[in-house]
Amino acid sequence: MATIALNNLTFTYPQAVAPTLQHVSLTFTSGHFTLLTGPSGTGKSTLLKLMTGLLPLDDPAAIQYDQVNLSAIDQTDRAAKVAMLFQNPNQQFAMDTVENELVFALENRQVDPTQMAARITAALDFVGISALRQRKLLHLSGGEKQKVALAVIVAMDSDVILLDEPFASVDPTARASLLRRLVQLRDKAGKTIILADHDLTDYQALVDDVVKVTPARNIVPVTVAQRPALFQAFEQRVSTTTTWPQPTSGQPAFKLHQLALTQGQHQLLQPTDLTLFQQHVTLITGPNGSGKSTFFEALVRLHAYQGRISYAGQDIQRLKRRAYARQVALLFQDAETQFLNITVQEELAQSQKHAAGTYFTTARIQQALAQLNLAGRDEQVIYTLSEGQKKKLQILLMLIMQPPVLLMDEPLKGLDLASINALVQLLQTTLAATQQTLVIISHQLTGLTPLIDYHLHFDQQQLRYQGVPHES
Amino acid sequence: MKWAKSWTLSDVILIALIGIFFGAIFMGTNYLYDVLTAALTPFGLAGLANELLLGIWCMPGMLAGYMLRLKGSATLGELLAAVVEMFFGGQWGAATLISGVLQGFGSELGYIITRYKHYDWLGLTASALTTTIVTFGWDLAKNGYLKLQLWLLVLYLVVRFISMFVFGGVLTRLITDLLDRSHVLKSTHTN
Amino acid sequence: MNPSLKLLLLLLIALEISFTTIVSLNIALVLLAALYLLLKGTKFKTLGWLLIVPLLPAIGLWSTQYINGSGDKTLMAWVLFTRIYAFVFTGATFTLTTNILQLADALEQNWHLPSKFAYGVLAAYNLVPKIQHEVQIIRAAGLMRGQQLSFWSPQLYFKAILVSINWSQNLAQAMASHGYVEDAPRTHYRQVRLRLRDWLILGLGLSCLQLGVFVIPWR
Ligand SMILES: Nc1ncnc2c1ncn2[C@@H]1O[C@H](COP(=O)(O)OP(=O)(O)OP(=O)(O)O)[C@@H](O)[C@H]1O
Ligand SMILES: Nc1ncnc2c1ncn2[C@@H]1O[C@H](COP(=O)(O)OP(=O)(O)OP(=O)(O)O)[C@@H](O)[C@H]1O
Ligand SMILES: [Mg+2]
Ligand SMILES: [Mg+2]
Repeated sequence: MATIALNNLTFTYPQAVAPTLQHVSLTFTSGHFTLLTGPSGTGKSTLLKLMTGLLPLDDPAAIQYDQVNLSAIDQTDRAAKVAMLFQNPNQQFAMDTVENELVFALENRQVDPTQMAARITAALDFVGISALRQRKLLHLSGGEKQKVALAVIVAMDSDVILLDEPFASVDPTARASLLRRLVQLRDKAGKTIILADHDLTDYQALVDDVVKVTPARNIVPVTVAQRPALFQAFEQRVSTTTTWPQPTSGQPAFKLHQLALTQGQHQLLQPTDLTLFQQHVTLITGPNGSGKSTFFEALVRLHAYQGRISYAGQDIQRLKRRAYARQVALLFQDAETQFLNITVQEELAQSQKHAAGTYFTTARIQQALAQLNLAGRDEQVIYTLSEGQKKKLQILLMLIMQPPVLLMDEPLKGLDLASINALVQLLQTTLAATQQTLVIISHQLTGLTPLIDYHLHFDQQQLRYQGVPHES
Repeated sequence: MKWAKSWTLSDVILIALIGIFFGAIFMGTNYLYDVLTAALTPFGLAGLANELLLGIWCMPGMLAGYMLRLKGSATLGELLAAVVEMFFGGQWGAATLISGVLQGFGSELGYIITRYKHYDWLGLTASALTTTIVTFGWDLAKNGYLKLQLWLLVLYLVVRFISMFVFGGVLTRLITDLLDRSHVLKSTHTN
Repeated sequence: MNPSLKLLLLLLIALEISFTTIVSLNIALVLLAALYLLLKGTKFKTLGWLLIVPLLPAIGLWSTQYINGSGDKTLMAWVLFTRIYAFVFTGATFTLTTNILQLADALEQNWHLPSKFAYGVLAAYNLVPKIQHEVQIIRAAGLMRGQQLSFWSPQLYFKAILVSINWSQNLAQAMASHGYVEDAPRTHYRQVRLRLRDWLILGLGLSCLQLGVFVIPWR
């Protein structure tokens, strides 16, 4: 049991000009489940890291657990007070197997070795993953990894559990099951839980408190009266699904013949025959972890597959890598993957130099930069851009390359609505002129819909066109 | 164990990761090594393939020494790369570790004799030179270089130095220049 | 046998045979190592693989001495040829029977290696498959921007280092959140003992090696 008090907390990153959080005073009640919301890049992760002691504080009294300064709690005892579950499930473990990771955590807590086996069994049982005990962490799905991370926290028996967008790479079933365990931890074990999330679906009935980051870099409670409005936006988003027609005929870009995908032991796609059409925009949706990114990786030969994929009539395995990369390019989920240089200007110059088409003249690039609110940053180091700015630049760079087919993995991730609208407009004018083929993976449809021609849904190992079937 | 105190956990992970990344990149050069070796074997010059590419294998240490600027970073960088290599697909067993330590220490020596003050061309050249000398000394025994004719020894030594200088010196410098300009290393790149 | 002493023994053997020129000793080591591996249940296929992999470098060394050597060229050529195999087979007695976790445990518990080195390397080691994939991704991303990233391109290494920096910070934070504190005492679930027996095997092994090197005069 622990109550956490933030007393006039202000935090500035060493190289940043402005503070990320300013004058935050707030109390998290012991035994409560608190939801922390706020737009991307506003400081949620920063707050949680501060509360775990992963970032240094100027004022030691700014964060207190049960009236004790966090910095005064001995480092070795901190894990008993507070533990964190991170957003990215992939770099969360030090060891190879589930059991070894749990052992590692218990050894750190200096638990008597004779008690460890029992504690591990209990923790795995509680989360419902006893079957995973001997499995390699590398072979688990995102959802399974997050369950293991939760089991570690349960085994360490930390009073306060902080979760930073724990469901970002987790499918709905795993998400529901994890949420159920968290509620149990609060109700049965009296744990204090603080969870940061963008997507507020399902929380309304579960949480005790809701707090949000304000534009003034403060964090304030959301009153019970304000909550329905906040949550409703998410209920609505689910129900407003636009439908697109099923494709009838057209020039194929890709033909999939009995394509099957696996990740480790895990089957992602059953053998499937499918055509993706040229000069159209196809949207792919589907739950987290269904295999959308893996599908794209297969299309650009970064992931092995069974069956055959042909592009413009040729088996892609027969094409030269270099030539194929100029035909079919992938916009990676992580913007930094796409960068090769240091400054914005250098990146733009590189894309312009190697572009496959001539649509993007210097004048058009300047215009696009202005449109995307990126003008005047020519000399800026790309790694100092905000996530949203990185994303917009990444997309522009790939548009300038003008490959005949562009696969976009979550192009709207981390963008605000104004940026999305500007981007969609840019895409529309560009596509009208260049006749490129676009395939887009996106969870977020707001603003994107005017662009879409066809809709594929990837779920339950099936990849199928959605929408009204035409006469056949 | 004062040197151990100045290393943080994330430093250790970082240089181990760099070692593995570089190893994964070098795997792509194995075919080059094989082709060169096979082509040169009939002339009794197979060692030349090794000399030409050795600089690549010494890069993790030379780069870690130049980039992290901690005492022992070159040695540790190369040793950790060797440990991982020994367990992951390296066939040379314990010999990998011995080579790793010697390569790393060879690179370190360049910074020791320049008193950890010259993170410039002098330091890089010194490091390339000491790496060449130390590893060559080891190969005199291990690969029987001692018993080779003198002209061949000199040829090997010169080629090895060039390889060290090109990969451990020039390429390291180009990489760290990119890192400097990108501002991502601020936190570790001081002291 | 205790993994750390086993490694020490093999390191000493590798060192010593690097300075000797006894073909029969190298062959004896290969045979002993092969026997040990078979007793430990190693498959014949694996042993065959160990024979094939070093063949090219072994022939390379052999021909270098045979063609460009000085002194007793033939002897030296065969010494180097068999020495490579002695490295590979003795090395395999370690890598095929011991994993990195066991070695880390022994170094931490028996030799008081600061745990940040043991677990730092383990954490990185467990990402090896991910890293191999990431290198492919970096290369493919380069091609899609019109740039071939070869092993001499600074950008390739630069990107790899950027990813390493990012991952190392994530991992260090995750480990801290799992209760890991640098230089703090820990308990040990997998106890590794350093027994008298281990020391005896080490002593015995080294003694036999000296017999092979100095006493038994077979060449
Ligand atoms: N190490 C750092 N140095 C400088 N600035 C940083 C650093 N880490 C984060 N920031 C900046 O601090 C701000 C808050 O980041 P934080 O990650 O806490 O946001 P968030 O609310 O968790 O966002 P998201 O929802 O996208 O995860 C951002 O503008 C970010 O660019
Ligand atoms: N290297 C890997 N080894 C084993 N499993 C993996 C690996 N990479 C991904 N997976 C798993 O494969 C599944 C599919 O991953 P993928 O990234 O394709 O999903 P996705 O549909 O793109 O999800 P998201 O919407 O979160 O981006 C996930 O369960 C993931 O955890
Ligand atoms: Mg965040
Ligand atoms: Mg994805």
